[in-house]
Amino acid sequence: MNYLDLTIKEIHEALVNKKVTPLELVNEAIKRAKEDKCNAFEYIMEKEAIEMAKTLTEPEKDNLLWGIPFAIKDNISTKDVPTCASSDILKDYVPIYNATIIDKLLAKKAIPFAKVTLDELAMGGTGATGHLGKTTNPYNNERMVGGSSCGSAAVTASAIVPFALGSDTGDSIRKPASYAGLVGFKPTWGRISRYGLFPFTPSLDSLGFFTRSVYDSATILNAVAGYDMHDFTSSKEKVDDYTSDLDKSIKGVKIAVIKEILDTISDTNIQKKFQETLKIYQDLGATINYVSMDRHLLKTLFPTYYIISCAEATSNNANLDGVKFGLNLEGDTFNDSLIKTRSKGFSERIKRRFVIGSYSLMAENQNELYLRAIKNRHKIVDEINKILKDNDVIFLPASPSTAPKFDNKVDQLEDEYLIADNYMVIANFAGLPSLTLPVGFIDNLPFGFNLTAGAFKEKKLFNIAKALEDKSGFYNLSIRTKK
Amino acid sequence: MDFEVTIGLEIHVEMKTKTKMFSATPVAFGAEPNTLTSPYDLAFPGTLPLPNKQAVINAIQVSHALHMKIDHELHFDRKNYFYSDLPKGYQITQNRRPIGSDGYLDIEVNRKTNRVEIERLHLEEDTAKQLHFPNYTLIDYNRAGIPLIEIVTRPCIHSSDVAAKYVETIREIVSFLGVSDGKMEEGQLRCDVNISLRKTGDKQYGTKVEVKNINSFNYIKIALEYEINRQKALLEKGEAIVQETRRYDEEHKATQSMRLKTDSVDYKYFPDANIPIIKLSDEFVNNAIKSSKELASAKRSRYQKEFKLNDYDTGIILSNIQIANYFDECAKLSKHYKSIANWIISDILAILNKNALTIDQFEIKPKTLVSLIEEIESGKISNKIGREIFNYMINNHVDIKTAKEKLNITNQQSDDKAIRTLVIEVLDNNAQSIKDYHAGKDRALGFLIGQVMKKSGGKVNPALTSKIMIEELNRRK
Repeated sequence: MNYLDLTIKEIHEALVNKKVTPLELVNEAIKRAKEDKCNAFEYIMEKEAIEMAKTLTEPEKDNLLWGIPFAIKDNISTKDVPTCASSDILKDYVPIYNATIIDKLLAKKAIPFAKVTLDELAMGGTGATGHLGKTTNPYNNERMVGGSSCGSAAVTASAIVPFALGSDTGDSIRKPASYAGLVGFKPTWGRISRYGLFPFTPSLDSLGFFTRSVYDSATILNAVAGYDMHDFTSSKEKVDDYTSDLDKSIKGVKIAVIKEILDTISDTNIQKKFQETLKIYQDLGATINYVSMDRHLLKTLFPTYYIISCAEATSNNANLDGVKFGLNLEGDTFNDSLIKTRSKGFSERIKRRFVIGSYSLMAENQNELYLRAIKNRHKIVDEINKILKDNDVIFLPASPSTAPKFDNKVDQLEDEYLIADNYMVIANFAGLPSLTLPVGFIDNLPFGFNLTAGAFKEKKLFNIAKALEDKSGFYNLSIRTKK
Repeated sequence: MDFEVTIGLEIHVEMKTKTKMFSATPVAFGAEPNTLTSPYDLAFPGTLPLPNKQAVINAIQVSHALHMKIDHELHFDRKNYFYSDLPKGYQITQNRRPIGSDGYLDIEVNRKTNRVEIERLHLEEDTAKQLHFPNYTLIDYNRAGIPLIEIVTRPCIHSSDVAAKYVETIREIVSFLGVSDGKMEEGQLRCDVNISLRKTGDKQYGTKVEVKNINSFNYIKIALEYEINRQKALLEKGEAIVQETRRYDEEHKATQSMRLKTDSVDYKYFPDANIPIIKLSDEFVNNAIKSSKELASAKRSRYQKEFKLNDYDTGIILSNIQIANYFDECAKLSKHYKSIANWIISDILAILNKNALTIDQFEIKPKTLVSLIEEIESGKISNKIGREIFNYMINNHVDIKTAKEKLNITNQQSDDKAIRTLVIEVLDNNAQSIKDYHAGKDRALGFLIGQVMKKSGGKVNPALTSKIMIEELNRRK
C-alpha cells in the first residue's frame, strides 16, 4: 500500500512516525502524474516540489499539512510558476506574486505540486473547454469529471495528491466532487481571501478544495481561513477550529429538503439513495423538514446566474489586452493589436459569454437584463435565508446523475437541467458554505449529495457531513482504493 | 445678434495622498517612470482593490468646502472601456452615488457674486500616463491608480471670467486643504470645459463643444474667449456648431478639433463587487470635516478682522498656500502682524523672486524672522540695523547672533538709568542748548539727542532717549 492513497490525516501520522518522507511522497506523486490518463495537468512543479521536499526533514507533530503535496487549479496565482487559467490568452504568463491561499499553505509547509486544468478561465461545467482539451473522469475516461475545477477533481480522485485547490462560482467544486466521488467544499464568501484568484464573477467566486475526507477539508480550512489585508471583502469574523466538533452528536439538527428540486430528479437510484440517507440522518437524531420553493423562481436560477456571471466576466477579463502580459499579437494601433490578441486568445465559447455579458450591461438593456438578474438574485437569497432561519442545513443530491458522457446532449430548457443540475448556485448567490460528499456508486461511477449551511456555519456543516461520512462508509474514495 | 454663453466645467484633481486610490503603492511626483507600481496597478490577474481611507477623507473635506451633501455610504462602480492607458480595461469610479452632491461656490467677479452650482464630486483612479512617439507609445504606470476627485458643475456659468475664477478658487480650496498642489502645468488639476451659445431668450441650449487640454490657469480665459468668439462667428454666419471635442493649442492660442462626438460612448457602468458598500459613520464624516485645514476664505477674514491687515497684504499672503503657512507660523509666535506681513511682502518675496525659490526653500525660517522682528519692535535694534542683519544672514548663511557679531552690532541701550546718566552729562555741557530749547527752538532737542547718540556710539534707543531728554530738560526750566 502506498502512502499517497491515504488521507491527509493518515499521511501525517506516517510522516510523524517517519514511515515516509515528503520527498518520497513527491516522487511518488510525480510518478503517478506521469501516468495520468485524464489530461489534468497544466504544469507539474517537479523541480520546485522536489527542492522544497528536500528541505523538510523534521516533521511537525501538530501541523497536519507539513510535507503534504497538493495541486492547484491554474487560475490561482503562483509566483514564478506559469499560470494560464487554461486559456491561450494567458500564454506564457508567469505571475510575480502568490495568492494568499498559496502563501498560507506554504507557511504550513504543504508542498505545491502541480498546476491543474480547468474550463477556460473557469467558465464552464464540463471540463472540456480548456486550451489543452478535455480533462476526463478517472473512473471512466469516456466521461466528464465536471468543471470548471476538472483538473483538481481528477488528480484528487486519482490519488496523485491528497488534496487540490479549486474555485467555485456556480458549482465548480461541488459538481465535479459529485462526479469524482470526493469531498468538495466552498466556504462562506469572504472566509478565504480571494487575493490571487483570477476573477470570473467576484460577487460569486470562492476558493475551496477537494479532499477525500471531511476531516481533511476542515483541516485545510483551519490553515487558509481568515481576514487578509489584500482582500477588502475578506471577513474579520473569528476563525474557528473547524476540526474540533466534527464528532459531536447531530441529535436535534434540522435538515431541510427543498421538494421542488428533489422532484425534478428522474434517476431512481439517486432518489432511492437519497431516501436511505435521510433515514441515516433520522436515525442519528436529526429532523427532516421538507420545504417548498417557487418552481418558477427555481427555473430562473440558471438564467440569473448566466447573466450576472457573463456581465461581470466581460469586465474582469478586460485586463487581458496584450499590453502587459500574456498573449500579444502586434498591430498597427492599440485597437488593432487588442482585437487580434483577444480574437485569437479566447475560445469561441468565451467570446460568446462576453457578448452576452456586454449586451446585458448596455445602457438600453441593463434594466431588462443585468439589473433584473441582480434583483432576482436578491429574491432567491431571501428565500434561501428564510429556509436556513429554521434549519441548520439544506440537503439535496449534488447532481441529477453520475458523470455524463462528453457527447451527452441535455435539453437546457428541461426542468431537470434548469433546476436539479444548476441549483447549487444558490450557495454562491447567498455566499453560503456548501459541501458535496460521496454517497454511492451507480455502474461504477460515484455520485454525491450536497449540504449547504448558513453563513459562517462551516463548523456545523462539517459536523453534519462527517456524521454521514461515518455511517455511509464512503471515506477516502479514489480509483486506487475503490474495492 | 445677442448670444448667451453657457459653460459647464469638469475638473479632475489629482490628490497627493501617500498611496494610490486602491493599492498601497506610494504616490510621488517626478519619480522615474514605472518605479511606483504594484501587481494591482498593472492589473495582474487576481489582484484586488483596497480603498484609500485618506482619499475618502479628502473627498469629504472638499465636498464640505463646496457646500455639498455628503453620502454616508460609499458606492464604487466600474466604467468599462478599452484603452492602452487603462490597465484593468475599466476604471473604478463612482457613477450612481458620488460622495458629494448638490453644492455651490460663490464666485465674485467685478464685485458681483455669481453662484456656481456644483452637481457632483466623486472619487476615482487615474489612468497611466502615455508618451506618444511617431512609431510607438511609452506607458508610465506611476500615474495609474493615483486618487482623483472629479468636480462637475451644472451648465450655469455665463462668462469666461467666472469660469476662470471658479477654476482658480477650486485650486485654492484643494491646495489650502492640503488635498493637492493643484498645479495645472503638472496635470494635478485638469479641466474640461463644455461651452454652448444660444440666442438670448432661447430656451433650448445650443450645441455643446468640449474643450480639453487647457494646461495653465493663464490660458483658461484665453481659450474660452477664443471658443466663444469662434462659435459666435459661425452662428452669425448662420452656420451650425458641430458637436465635437476640441483641444486648446497654446502655440496658436486657438482651439482645434480633436474628434467628433457622435453617439456618446456606453461605459456599461455597474457596481464593483470587490468593494462592497462602505458605510461612513457620522463620526467619521464629522471628524473628517473637523480636521480640515483652514480654507483661504477663513484665513482672509481672520487676517482682516483679527490681524487688521489690508486687502492688498491679505491678497498677497493668500496667493499661495506656502506663503500663507509661513505667515501663520510667524503669527503664532508674534503679534506684530503688520510688521510680519511687511517683511514677507517687501523683503522675502523680493528675494524669492530674484532667486526663483519657493518660500519653503527660504533659509530664514519663521522663528528666526520673528525674533528679528521682535528685536526691532522692542527697540533693541533699529529697523535699519534689522535689515542689515537680515541681508547679512542671507548673504553669508549665518544665524542672527553671528550676523550681529560680524556686523559689530550690540543691542541698543534701553537701560533707563544708563541713558539718563548720559543725558545729564550732555545737558551739563550744553547750557546754551537748554536755553534754546526753552525758547522754543526745536532744533536744540535734536542736537542734544544727537550728542547722546554720539557719546553712546549710536547704541541708545532713540525713542527712549528722547523721552528722558524731555523729562530732564523740563527739570531745568
